[in-house]
Amino acid sequence: MEDFVRVGAADNDRYDRSRRIEWLDLERLFRSDVLLVGAGALGNEVAKNLVLSGFRNITVVDMDRVVGSNLSRCMFFTEEDAEKGTYKAEAVARGMQRLSSDAVPKALVAKVEDLPPVTWGGRDVVLGCLDNIQARLHVNSHAYPARIPLVDGGMDGFIGKVTVVRPPDGACLQCGMNRTHAKVAEMRFSCTGSGIVFHQPRVPAEITTTSVVSAVMVREAMKIVSGRSELLLSNAFYYDGKRNVSEEIEFPVNPQCPLHAAGPHDYK
Amino acid sequence: MAIRIKVKNAETGATVEMELESENTVDEVIESAATFWNKDMGAYVLRKGKKVLRGGNSLVDAGIRAEDVLELIPDPEGG
Repeated sequence: MEDFVRVGAADNDRYDRSRRIEWLDLERLFRSDVLLVGAGALGNEVAKNLVLSGFRNITVVDMDRVVGSNLSRCMFFTEEDAEKGTYKAEAVARGMQRLSSDAVPKALVAKVEDLPPVTWGGRDVVLGCLDNIQARLHVNSHAYPARIPLVDGGMDGFIGKVTVVRPPDGACLQCGMNRTHAKVAEMRFSCTGSGIVFHQPRVPAEITTTSVVSAVMVREAMKIVSGRSELLLSNAFYYDGKRNVSEEIEFPVNPQCPLHAAGPHDYK
Repeated sequence: MAIRIKVKNAETGATVEMELESENTVDEVIESAATFWNKDMGAYVLRKGKKVLRGGNSLVDAGIRAEDVLELIPDPEGG
C-alpha cells in the first residue's frame, strides 16, 4: 500500500513537532499518570510544560490559596483568583485544561502529608514543586518505596536545582541531606507571604530561574515515561543564573538511609 | 593528623583555608564555612568536583586530602 499524506496535515497536528523527537515516546506520555505536588511558582511552570509536552493525566496537589504576590510568576493565576482566594491546585488544573482540551487534570486541595496512601498508587512519575524540606522528605518517603521516579525542583533566587530519584537505583532526596537541612526541615520556604510562613528564602523565587528549573524537570519526566533512563540526569542539575553556570552534580547513596534499607511498598 | 584544605564560597568566589583533623565531619566543615561567611540560615552542601559529600562522613571517609579545594553551595529549597 502506498503512503498517504495530506497537504498541511503536519501544521494541523498539535504534536507534530514532538513527534519529531526521536527518543520521545509520545503515546506513553499521553497514557502516563503524573502526580504534581505543589502549585506555586514552580508548579505553574511545570504544569504548563507538562501539558504542552503532551502529558494528559495530571493530578495537582496544593493546600494554599492564590494571593496577589503570586501573580508575578504564576501564569495560571489571575487577579480575580487573588481577590477570591482561589485554591492554587484548582487554578492550575483549570489553566491546564485551558491550554489543551486533551488534558485531564485533577485538583487535590490538601497538604501533601495528609494525602491517603492510595494517592501514590499507579503513578508513572512524581514531580515535586515544593517549598520546604519536610514536604520533600514526605514525598520522597512515599515515592521511593513505591518505586515511582521522582523529579524534584528547588529554587533560591537565581539558583536552582533539579534532582532525579529513580528507585531502586541511586540516591534519594534523603541521601543528599545533611545537618543544615535538618535545621531548616520544618521551615517553609514559601513564595506566598501568607501567615503560615515563618522563614523566607534567602532570595524570593523569580520567574527566569523558575522557567529553567521547570524546563529541566519536565524534560526529565519525558525521558522517564519514554523509558530512556540512559538519558536521565545522574542525578542532579545545578543552575546559577547570576553566574551563568549550569552543571550536573552527583549525590551519592547514603548507606544509612532508611529508605534504601527498606523493601518496596505497593500502594495499590 | 591535621590537614589543610580550602573551601570556596560558590556564591562569591571567596576562599578560606581550614585546618582540620581527619575525624572532623563534612557537616562540621559546612557549618564552619557558613558561619565564617555569615551565610543566611538555609541548607548548604559541600562538593568535591561533581560529587556532593555526605554530611555525616568524616573527612577520611569522604576521601578528603590535604590541599583539596571543596566548594560550599546553597541547596535551594524554595518552590
